[in-house]
Amino acid sequence: MSRALGPEGRAFRGGDRHRVAARPGGLAGRRLAASVAVRVTGLALAVLVLGHFTLTHIVTDVAEADAGYIARRWQSALWLAWDWTMLATALFHGAAGVWIAVEDYSPDEPARRRRQLVLVAVTLALLVLGTVTLAAGSGA
Amino acid sequence: MPAIQLLFIAGLTAVLAGVVGFAAVVLASAARSGGGPHVTSGFLRRFARPGRERAELHRWAFYLHRITGFAIFAFLCLHILDVSTYALSPALYDELHGLYATAPMRVFEAGLLVAILFHTLNGLRLVAVDVADMGIDASRRALVAVAALTVVLGAAGGAVIVAPAFA
Repeated sequence: MSRALGPEGRAFRGGDRHRVAARPGGLAGRRLAASVAVRVTGLALAVLVLGHFTLTHIVTDVAEADAGYIARRWQSALWLAWDWTMLATALFHGAAGVWIAVEDYSPDEPARRRRQLVLVAVTLALLVLGTVTLAAGSGA
Repeated sequence: MPAIQLLFIAGLTAVLAGVVGFAAVVLASAARSGGGPHVTSGFLRRFARPGRERAELHRWAFYLHRITGFAIFAFLCLHILDVSTYALSPALYDELHGLYATAPMRVFEAGLLVAILFHTLNGLRLVAVDVADMGIDASRRALVAVAALTVVLGAAGGAVIVAPAFA
């Protein structure tokens, strides 16, 4: 496929207005669902991430948040639940945001699809890695 | 310096380079389609207008929200990798984690706090704008509050994070 052309007939550059091909299956409904999901996960992250950062950098000095600190914390099922929820929510929220940025700045459809595929692959790999780390760290 | 620390520094360098590159793309495309001139000699003059005419503050908040969001996501990717060394060996994690307490990393963490604070507070503002159907004036006042809270909380938290390196 040839490179998409911008409004003035030259090659597309980021910031050009371009038509994102309408996808079948209720695009407006999916946009609404996606924007609600980003806001709900954002509200959850406001508590989860600020709580995490406050505890590991401000209440506890970062020098003391060592392996012993992790070992003590991951003995608690509540902290494991906190950390896994934060991991999954943050990855989803971040990937959704980068997905939209890729849609805005990608020159043409193949480039956009390629970048979104890399994004999804990296996000899923990190979700698996984080889950394995939590499982191994809890001694399960 | 242990290999694992060098690996982390390489990762952090890649994260920072990625953020700078992403910010350049956002700002270049904004200059082309965001409307109006940007940081020029007229900037201060435009800034002196009455508050309700300063609608472009929302545009700047949008760019900053994008860039901080990308930066936090990029660091999250590195952070999941660095914590995962704990599963390989707690000793390896401790070796790597020693970096976090160094002065340059503490400065980085203070910067990360500022990015997280702005992205969180501005995100809460955006939810409030939708939920409470706030108008342009109310949402601009909320944006000023977001900026003020980011500076105050970021300075206080940043001082706590950085202080041990200079004690």
